[in-house]
Amino acid sequence: MAENGKPILHVEDVYKTFKIGDDGWLEGGATYVHAINGVKLDIRKGESFCLVGESGCGKSTLARTVMGLEDPTSGTIRYDGVRIDDLGDRERLPYRRRMQMIFQNPYASLNPRMKVIQALEEPLRFHHPDLSDAEVLDKVHAVMESVGNDPKWCERFPHEFSGGQRQRISIARALMVDPEFVVADEPISALDVSIQAQVLNVMMDAQEKHHLTYLFITHDLSVVEHFGTRVGVMYLGVLCELADTRSLFANPRHPYTQGLLAAIPKMDGSELSFTKMEGEVPTAMNLPSGCVFHTRCPLAQDRCRSESPELRDVKGHKVACHFAE
Amino acid sequence: MALLEVTDLEVEFPLGRTTLQAIHGLSFKIDKGERVGIVGESGAGKSVAAFSILNLIAKPGRISAGTVFFEDTNLADLSPEDMQKIRGNRISMIFQDPMMTLNPVLTIGTQMVECLHAHRDISNEDAKRIAIEKLREVKIPSPEERFDNYPHQLSGGMRQRVVIAIALITEPGIIIADEPTTALDVTIQAEILALMLDLCRNHGVALILITHDLAVVSQVTQRIVVMYAGRVVEQGPTRDIITDARHPYTHGLIKALPQQNNAGARLNQIKGSMPTLDSIPKGCAFNPRCEFADGQCAESEPELRQVNNRLVACHHAETVSAHYAVEAK
Repeated sequence: MAENGKPILHVEDVYKTFKIGDDGWLEGGATYVHAINGVKLDIRKGESFCLVGESGCGKSTLARTVMGLEDPTSGTIRYDGVRIDDLGDRERLPYRRRMQMIFQNPYASLNPRMKVIQALEEPLRFHHPDLSDAEVLDKVHAVMESVGNDPKWCERFPHEFSGGQRQRISIARALMVDPEFVVADEPISALDVSIQAQVLNVMMDAQEKHHLTYLFITHDLSVVEHFGTRVGVMYLGVLCELADTRSLFANPRHPYTQGLLAAIPKMDGSELSFTKMEGEVPTAMNLPSGCVFHTRCPLAQDRCRSESPELRDVKGHKVACHFAE
Repeated sequence: MALLEVTDLEVEFPLGRTTLQAIHGLSFKIDKGERVGIVGESGAGKSVAAFSILNLIAKPGRISAGTVFFEDTNLADLSPEDMQKIRGNRISMIFQDPMMTLNPVLTIGTQMVECLHAHRDISNEDAKRIAIEKLREVKIPSPEERFDNYPHQLSGGMRQRVVIAIALITEPGIIIADEPTTALDVTIQAEILALMLDLCRNHGVALILITHDLAVVSQVTQRIVVMYAGRVVEQGPTRDIITDARHPYTHGLIKALPQQNNAGARLNQIKGSMPTLDSIPKGCAFNPRCEFADGQCAESEPELRQVNNRLVACHHAETVSAHYAVEAK
């Protein structure tokens, strides 16, 4: 497509803080979880943007904020040039159609009391109330076939399907309203290896057929290497590196990215490699001062403890580290 | 003589009028200090295999045939009392989720000491000393203070270290680890695997690692047993199986991994999905999904037989491997 490569989603300095407890005299004061801390990124039309990081790094919260399931504490989100994070329900409606989401666990994301056809019809009838029954049915069948599902499944309930089949039904549901932008939050983490391949293939086919843009969230780096156009690496709510997939895997610039890549189990017959990274992710309630990664970083110096690094250009990567060179 | 030798093991679960066979003729052995991986997808029977070694099959399920010899004792027909002397003592088990394994209302120290008291005649002081020593061995910082912590005060990685310390505390001959790192992040997973590898080498403990992750198995174990629908389909040295699988299922499983493919290309997928236990096809259990299946495969079930340096259960193992060799070029 001609407009491929233009930014479609623009996330600007987004912060998201969750309050836990209350300030009342019985509660003993509120604490805050700093889930996202000033993330800034663009997603280009037609790409598969992957967001990776360990649990608790804020990748899912960012996805939910983009989708409008959470409101950002501060910062703006623009879709196709329009600011969408402060829209009211009615104004938001067209964007809810254009942006769809696929969730991690297909056992929880399909209503067990709705037949497949009901689950698929619902979004279509909601966004296009003027369609006739026959048109709706045609669309359901067309979408089911396009993701490799047998249209005969329509009259069955979710419990009759395996995990992979359910995830393909979830994908079909997301595609029902012809979205442009799909957020997939760990869509294959709950599935077996051979089924993961199936679902990834379906997602890649759908991207080609419907010209989709993906925001793909995962902790599985080998999937990212295969699937992603560009990758953003998150740590404690901060984007620490952003680059083209190939370049990121060939030359990781941020010490965290390097540690993360070294930790992937490999199948090349090599022995287990020891990670340079020590310790575990600190809690997002008490962020470390300065660079959030300094408590585990092998290169940390005094400057890292006091001054938090900006995301800056280093040889084609965007890296948030004082010593990326 | 092997440390543990499982021969023709069959495990079945009665269901109404029928019986579901979860394990069908499982045979493998493991030597002292050896590391063996059992791999397969969910429902392949890998966890049931592990439970049957420890005689932990939930009733009404039962071991219907076969033997499990451990140090000259057949575990399959041991009384529950005698089994308790071996379980958690000579053979330990590590489960997937450390939060579910540890008792949330007891300190980790209590749980470690409890395990020692169950198997040894030992004083409280000695038990505590051994427990702290083990915590130090699994690299828990300031073990004396951690001894009095409750599980919720530890992070996921630390909890799994505690579970490993408990498994090691009685100096077992074998540790069975059922998906020990599946619930952990990659960086923590790498640390835990490195730790387990170290401990196995230093203590001469044998390890049975059960996992669905071929990459993990390839880095930790020396031999692999690949299971499909309750059967062993391939068994042999890890490196040979990873680089040159002979069974179509093993081959498909490895080829389905993104790191084996060209970035952006379609992934190789195995058509269909694993049959449930009540619908295992006649003949070779894999035949409806296999690209090499013919009349013989639909009729007779292949025996596990020697092909080069490994065991393969496939009628066409020779032609299949020749085919893959050509494909690789």
